[in-house]
Amino acid sequence: MGMIQATQIVNEERPIAGKTVSVSVVQRLRPPTRFQVALLGMQGLLQGMWLTLTYFWSPVEVVTREYPENRDSLKITERFRGNLRFKFPNEVAHQTHSALLEQIAQETQTHPEVAENWIRDEDDTRWYHNCTGCSKCEEACPNASIRILTRHGEILDDREIDRFVWRLDSCMFCNACVLACPWDAIEMTGGFENAVFDRRLLVYSLNRLAAPRINLIQDEQDPAVRARMIDWRSRYGGPIPLGGTGLPNLPAIGAPKVQECPVSHAGSTAVAP
Amino acid sequence: MAATVARTWEPNTIAQRAAAAATENLWVTAAYLIGSMIGVVAVLSLLGMVLIYVERKVAARFQCRLGPTRVGPFGLLQTLADTLKLVFKEDFVPEMADKFLHMLAPFLALLVPVVLLALLPYSPSMQVADLNIGILFVTAIGGFGVMGILIAGWASNNKWSMIGAMRAGAQIISYELSATLALLVVVLFSGTMSLSGIVQSQQDGWWIWRGHAAGFCAFMLYLIASTAELNRTPFDIPEGESELTAGFHTEYSGLRFAFFFLAEFINMFTVSALTATLFLGGWMPFHIGDWAALNSQMDLIPPIIWFGAKTSAVIFIIMWFRWTFPRLRVDQLMHLEWKILLPIGFANLLLASIIVLINAYPFPLELPQ
Repeated sequence: MGMIQATQIVNEERPIAGKTVSVSVVQRLRPPTRFQVALLGMQGLLQGMWLTLTYFWSPVEVVTREYPENRDSLKITERFRGNLRFKFPNEVAHQTHSALLEQIAQETQTHPEVAENWIRDEDDTRWYHNCTGCSKCEEACPNASIRILTRHGEILDDREIDRFVWRLDSCMFCNACVLACPWDAIEMTGGFENAVFDRRLLVYSLNRLAAPRINLIQDEQDPAVRARMIDWRSRYGGPIPLGGTGLPNLPAIGAPKVQECPVSHAGSTAVAP
Repeated sequence: MAATVARTWEPNTIAQRAAAAATENLWVTAAYLIGSMIGVVAVLSLLGMVLIYVERKVAARFQCRLGPTRVGPFGLLQTLADTLKLVFKEDFVPEMADKFLHMLAPFLALLVPVVLLALLPYSPSMQVADLNIGILFVTAIGGFGVMGILIAGWASNNKWSMIGAMRAGAQIISYELSATLALLVVVLFSGTMSLSGIVQSQQDGWWIWRGHAAGFCAFMLYLIASTAELNRTPFDIPEGESELTAGFHTEYSGLRFAFFFLAEFINMFTVSALTATLFLGGWMPFHIGDWAALNSQMDLIPPIIWFGAKTSAVIFIIMWFRWTFPRLRVDQLMHLEWKILLPIGFANLLLASIIVLINAYPFPLELPQ
């Protein structure tokens, strides 16, 4: 121990009133002499210098990462709290796309490229989700960055999610929504590259399908009825604040041409009708 | 018991060469003087660049980081880019400041290391001037360095600057004592005050080991005291960021701030070079008494490389201090100087004078009798 202890606590058994009782005795130690203090201080200094020298000589791990070059090999830890997204039912948390392909290929006994085509196609099952639209996340959000819009599902005659609107621009990545979710429907991913030229692009809906929970869809056997339970929802659009509708001089976001870099023309030239 | 030395060194300073040329051609003298001025300025700017880069790299290594890597190969041009940025910044003077003194202070701060650069013996043939009162001059000029800091703090009309400058004044004046006591030990050992003479007196062995415990103790004392005089961590209370924003140079920007910055780093070089000169033999190769075989082998390495290696080692130690130790409080600083270092310094001086009296070196001096 390098520390100088002024007291020492000794646990012992003592006979008190005919019984043996365990007591803690606080013993006051002799204060250290100045010489001892000086020696301990120098020992501490030398220990510190030895530690930094070992770092200098062979750094355990250089923590700096030269970011844009190592984008392919970038390691994001599991506890990293990046962009919010809907947890895909086929995916476990923080599973990368390639890992998902591997898993699907293994399950279906196909090649990963085939699996990619399989999930890239107009297969809406990829976007099945666990969200019920219960708004627990909306209540939990301290910044009011989440807005849950629900609709009435015709088939099941029940409430279901219409749009899960997430404001990235006011989110502080506190993870409270994920913890609050009773259905384990959303998760924080490792995504962090969020730079855009238009802040309207930072408000979008997370869900691709306006649909009930995955198990309710899968319980339905008739594919035609299943298809009727599902509505496609785009990332931008709908009654989202700052969605680009009704703002003068700015093209609406919904148009696919403008989505590339919407603001670059808006600031420089006079008026884009 | 004369030590057989494989090679004799004849220092030939630029001042001597200029004086010798004065009898024949005054133009040559003028060329020598101007050349040495240009040389000092070149060394100054080059050292500033290199030292700041090295400091950043070493600090990064100590903290498991990478340091500058982007500008130029291995980030070598980072300092140049920073300097360019500083040059183009606004030269801001506070409204109620003493404008003349505010502008004068950075030059005073930079003056000291520039003068000291001219005195250092880099190698037998590379020294601008060799004063016979070299140590005295170095001490006097080194103490003058606090003037720039005090004036900067006073003229800024800012309470943080003022407190920082006062702290720097108290600290430098205090630690000047210990540093001078350590220097006196070397003066006792070598019997001369000229820096070149001190280097030559170590041709049987460097004073750090040849002076027994007194030599090593003086080395440690000088290292600690000079770190304090440099205002570097762990003695950086004059510019403690958490308390005083930036201390005495809070109100400086642009090139004047760069001057303070440069002065700090050049000061670090001069102090390290002085430590190397006084205790580690300067440009003198590693000699052990009359071991002619070893000595002649060591002589193969040119003196300028010996000087550079020793100075770099001391600079590394000072950087090592900075990135390891926590900052001292003001009262702890004064406690360390007046109650610990100063008594040790006096006792050490006494011990050194006893060693000199009974000529108890490992390879005794040949007494002139």
